[in-house]
Amino acid sequence: MKVAVLSFAHVHAAGYLRLLSRMPGVEVIGSDPDTASAAPGEVRGRAFAEERGVAYAATYEEAFAWGPDAVIVCSENARHRPLVELAASRGVDVLCEKPLATTVEDGEAMLAACREAGVRLAVAFPVRFSPAYAAVKAAVSSGDAGRVLTVSGANNGSMPSVRRWFADPELAGGGALMDHTVHIADLLDDLFGEARAVDVYAQTNNRMYAGEVDAETSGLVTVTYDNGSVATIDCSWSHPRSHHSWGGLELTVVGERATLEMDAFDQAVHGFSERRGQGLELPFGADLDELMLRAFLYGPAEGGMDVADGEGGLRTLKIVTAGYESARRGVPVAVG
Amino acid sequence: MRIALIGAGGIARAHLPGWLELGARVGVYTVDGSAEKLAAEYAGHDVVAAASLGELLADCTAVDICTPTPTHKELALAAVAAGRHVICEKPLALNASDAEEIAAAAEAAGVRLHPAHVVRYFPAYAAMRRAVGSGDLGDLAVLRFTRGGARPQWAPWFADPAQSGGVIMDLMVHDIDIARWIAGDVVRVHAQTRGVEHATGGTQAEVVSATAVLTHASGVISHITGLWGLPDQQFRTTFRIAGSHGLLRHDSTSVPGYRITAQGVRAANEGIPSSPMTESPYLSELREFAASWQEGGGEPRVSARDGIEAVRIAEAAVESSRTGRAVELRTGIASDIKTGIASDIKEVTR
Repeated sequence: MKVAVLSFAHVHAAGYLRLLSRMPGVEVIGSDPDTASAAPGEVRGRAFAEERGVAYAATYEEAFAWGPDAVIVCSENARHRPLVELAASRGVDVLCEKPLATTVEDGEAMLAACREAGVRLAVAFPVRFSPAYAAVKAAVSSGDAGRVLTVSGANNGSMPSVRRWFADPELAGGGALMDHTVHIADLLDDLFGEARAVDVYAQTNNRMYAGEVDAETSGLVTVTYDNGSVATIDCSWSHPRSHHSWGGLELTVVGERATLEMDAFDQAVHGFSERRGQGLELPFGADLDELMLRAFLYGPAEGGMDVADGEGGLRTLKIVTAGYESARRGVPVAVG
Repeated sequence: MRIALIGAGGIARAHLPGWLELGARVGVYTVDGSAEKLAAEYAGHDVVAAASLGELLADCTAVDICTPTPTHKELALAAVAAGRHVICEKPLALNASDAEEIAAAAEAAGVRLHPAHVVRYFPAYAAMRRAVGSGDLGDLAVLRFTRGGARPQWAPWFADPAQSGGVIMDLMVHDIDIARWIAGDVVRVHAQTRGVEHATGGTQAEVVSATAVLTHASGVISHITGLWGLPDQQFRTTFRIAGSHGLLRHDSTSVPGYRITAQGVRAANEGIPSSPMTESPYLSELREFAASWQEGGGEPRVSARDGIEAVRIAEAAVESSRTGRAVELRTGIASDIKTGIASDIKEVTR
């Protein structure tokens, strides 16, 4: 199995290269020719691949000429489309970083290109592979939790600082709202099955990192679904930057018959490092990225979770774009 | 100090020990005979059941209204008319205009009106407010509050939104007040309620859950959830306060100070009572209220205006939940503080 990672713009590129490198039977190369957007000091391109001991292709053409069975697109959010279209044109399955795109137009074009070329388009939502989420899903789909009334979710981190384009609306499509709404929106897209988002109310501010970036750094997003459920998502970059942990993802599901809480990343040993002068956190939970990559490359485990498809990626993107319009206008906005 | 305690339900029972601790003589009045029962439980203390409201109001220093919300206005106006200071359980009223009317009457009569937003006296919330006020968190940005427990079964009026105002007005009003306390006035509200608002009391448990997003004049945004849940839903409140320079988190169930991990039998809501680790917030609240009657006794941390605004915001949230629309609020209070810290909120011309 040959896998190419296209672009190292996204912070997840390093993790994918590491995981793929140690998967038996997987050959991996990386390619990152388009580094003009990198901020000073950011390691990109060949140097980035060499640091990780991964083979490097100087151009995307060269990467495709290598004959990959699948590619992973890790470019800036606004630059997903050309790489996905390139993969489609070469007939190669593609896993695209989230969010699918920054505009619905781009997302629809990507879906069309992959559909016409007969290639698989998947979107990188690793949290759906969380065993904690599986337990929530089991409780809801079995009916044990009853009808879902409300969901309260939070996906907080600090503003990504090793890749500064995340806070550049041109390349990222926005800030925290674009970055962090989609993970929980994807969980609910899966949890609610055929149910669809009806409208979105979002409020944002940039009081966090004020003066440092123009993008919104805090946001609360309320999504109403046609199954009667309502969810509010805190997508803020509100986790302290110098905290020893990265943040997390939590979900509370209030059903008619049960109240459920999950934390996708709380399985860790906590302590304090005198040597580092800060808190110590030793995660021991499942590696969600690895589970996602395996499902993408080899298919889902028996009865297990599959990767999000392009259609799902487009639905969560539409929630975000409606959220931006809502934040601008101060009213709930229908999901297109 | 002579206190007219009106009502003998859950909150009256939380207040009564506080009044006795403060050395008050307490007369209890109810319309259903429960005052006699409560007074009998406190035999040997300075607690008596009053035969009539008029008699009680004629001979007291202050009135403590611990009755169902729809009765607040009539009782408060009667207490004010008798020239008594009033502490009134939250929400002050079911709508802002009634709350305004009570406050205006108290002001005209020159007596104190203290809306009993007791969460301001819970030590974790007070500590958080002090940290925010001292600038430890920098500019506040995004706040989250949750509050939930088993659906109240002890008094049927909670089940009827026409009397209690529902989960937003009765329960979430606590955190609405706290959000406004630390982040300033609110200009826009959006809320949604799901589940059974009006409980029928049938055999099947009836859950109601609501979510609200407040936008403060300062730009801070707050998320508040409320849950009247299943019979085994443990009562729990949480907050997460994020600012440009720091973060505070609290979960009431994770810091009990003291736990019983075994007592031989599994007892539902019975057994060895939990030991309070701090002074009762109700006592702190009543002490501050009582001090405010004296010249130089200090301003309580809750003003009549705070009580009105909490009702106004909750009312807007209820309306939003009904219509599905966001509701814009116009308040008469300046939000002059960039940090949203209302350390010195000033009234401006209304």
